[in-house]
Amino acid sequence: MSSGQSYLRHSLWSPLLPRILRFESQLALRHLRSGGRQTWLTISAVAAGVIIVVFITALIFGLQRRWITILTDALPHVTIRIVDPKPTPLADTLGQTFGAVSSRIEQRAPQEKNLENWAQVLEVVQALPNVRVVAPVVRGQAFASKGGNPYGVSVIGAEPDVQDQVTPVTKNLVAGHYRGLDSEEIVIDYELARDLNVSTGDRIRLTSSTGAVEVFTIAGIYSQGQGRGSAYITLRTAQSLFGLGTAVNAILVKVVNIFAADEVAARIQALLPYEARSWIQEFPQFLSSLQMQTASAYLISAFSLAASAFAIASILIVSVLQKSKQIGILKSMGARRSQILRAFILEGFGIALVGSSVGAAVGMAIVYLLSLIEQPVTRVGQPPEQLFPVAILPWYIALAMLAAISATVLAAWLPARRAARLNPVDVIR
Amino acid sequence: MQAPDDLDSADVPWPIQDTPPFVIETRGLRKTYFGKVAVPVLHDINLCVRAGEFVAVMGQSGSGKSTLLNILGALDVPTGGTVLINGVDISRLEDNALADLRSAGIGFIFQFHHLLDEYTCLENALLPLIIRYGSVTEAECVRVVHLLERVGLGHRLESHPEAMSGGENQRCAIVRALANAPRIVLADEPTGNLDSRSGQEVFALMREMNRDMGVAFVMVTHDDRLAQEADRILLIEDGHLRALPKGTRRLD
Repeated sequence: MSSGQSYLRHSLWSPLLPRILRFESQLALRHLRSGGRQTWLTISAVAAGVIIVVFITALIFGLQRRWITILTDALPHVTIRIVDPKPTPLADTLGQTFGAVSSRIEQRAPQEKNLENWAQVLEVVQALPNVRVVAPVVRGQAFASKGGNPYGVSVIGAEPDVQDQVTPVTKNLVAGHYRGLDSEEIVIDYELARDLNVSTGDRIRLTSSTGAVEVFTIAGIYSQGQGRGSAYITLRTAQSLFGLGTAVNAILVKVVNIFAADEVAARIQALLPYEARSWIQEFPQFLSSLQMQTASAYLISAFSLAASAFAIASILIVSVLQKSKQIGILKSMGARRSQILRAFILEGFGIALVGSSVGAAVGMAIVYLLSLIEQPVTRVGQPPEQLFPVAILPWYIALAMLAAISATVLAAWLPARRAARLNPVDVIR
Repeated sequence: MQAPDDLDSADVPWPIQDTPPFVIETRGLRKTYFGKVAVPVLHDINLCVRAGEFVAVMGQSGSGKSTLLNILGALDVPTGGTVLINGVDISRLEDNALADLRSAGIGFIFQFHHLLDEYTCLENALLPLIIRYGSVTEAECVRVVHLLERVGLGHRLESHPEAMSGGENQRCAIVRALANAPRIVLADEPTGNLDSRSGQEVFALMREMNRDMGVAFVMVTHDDRLAQEADRILLIEDGHLRALPKGTRRLD
């Protein structure tokens, strides 16, 4: 029988499939093909859910990553300083037996706040886990002037190579150089340079808070993009400008895992008689706002997934109920309830697989296109930045796909289970 | 309760050698639907159908014809009594076993063809085999194609139901009912939705298959003329079954 043979050759019940699934997978495929617009609608609903999740997580976590980078790049993660000794009221001193004493707390005169033994501190801190860079610095205030009005400026004295790893300067240079800074040279902020109307090679005068005056040649001008930055000189020069001798007044630490900076600070404080504060302690609100952002990203994702799950469910429920009669016919032909359920689950799975793949692909494409948009206003001397800092997080995309697939299969299974339980008699007539 | 043999007074066209002698045997079959009020539909039905017999069942709407047919087809289970299909008591069977029983031994033809639009004519006719085995052998396929050619659908193998006429679809449904080589075919007003010429054609085909393949047919019909051509006519009145001598007109 030629037509029978040709039919068998072209038949879809592929011998590759396990026997138990051939009828089910074929029925599912036929349903999807004959579903037409409805199939595409369901696939789009699944895709939309995944797109939203991919998009939102990419945007929020990208923004977060950018924020963290901006903040922690420019900041020391842990700052080590001398503890300001706290005065004790006389009444609290043990062994006080005589007369009336004042309980008033008088602030003591400022103490010497220098780290003389910073070389040892450096050794101890460097040996701690999670510590990347340790930089001894001298920080102070000074007035910068070029003939006219003086401008207040924070001065940081440090070895350029080390300082670059704590707060990048070389990276942000607009002109000149920072590495290999000479003892007579200074690198200043773009804003200050504009105020003083100077450029590289010009000389400016620095009057320190201790009264010392020195003249510097401007070796470089940098711009960090926001606010007014410090002026950078060498450690030796700063020590003499602020009268510290061979001491420093702060040690800056950069760690590998910035969210473990608290532990590093605690370890330092336990080991050494100095105050160690992490960036988290200095900016507690920053961390909590990050956590709030993360939580809202999860919430938005969960809600949009739930919303698309409801959309998928309502379409699938209608399409399954439309097939109640067919389910009855199949049962009358000897199809088991489990066969019918499997067919509908496969149908849902097919929709979910195509929908979530399309969603992930389109979502990533949108995110990629967004990442190409550049900010209209950019920093001086820097390449234009992204308007939307985005992060493609494969883990979240996989999770969103998985959630969409489970929701869709569930939404196909539940009505099919009900329909397969129906008495064929009642649905066929 | 009547002995089953009493019902078989109507003449049987040829001797039956098959064992068990009856493909369908009910004793004291009762069916009650339990809704807000219990509605008894069938009372004490004793019915035996021999292999290869063609039985017409008549009765007014709501008399319980379809309920009986559904129970005989293992689509529904009785409230009381025993129903033996090919010697198996269906009241004891689980859902899956009922499905397997339908798959192996019973074919259905409904008033509406109920072919699946997603499948071609040939695929629809093969569907019972696909459901049962997951695939079709070439021999089975050839057999079904032969059947389709016999009912005049040889040129329609690749057509979809929506492209075929009502008569063609019903003929395809007959082949589908026979695809698994069942011993029983249950037909619920198979000609009810067709014009009289197509109805006559479909009935003639059913009778032909019944004679050639020795398949027992139980056909519910309103058409007196067709019923007269069956081996035996049974009448259901208010849930009670009785034999109607051939030649008598149904009293409406």
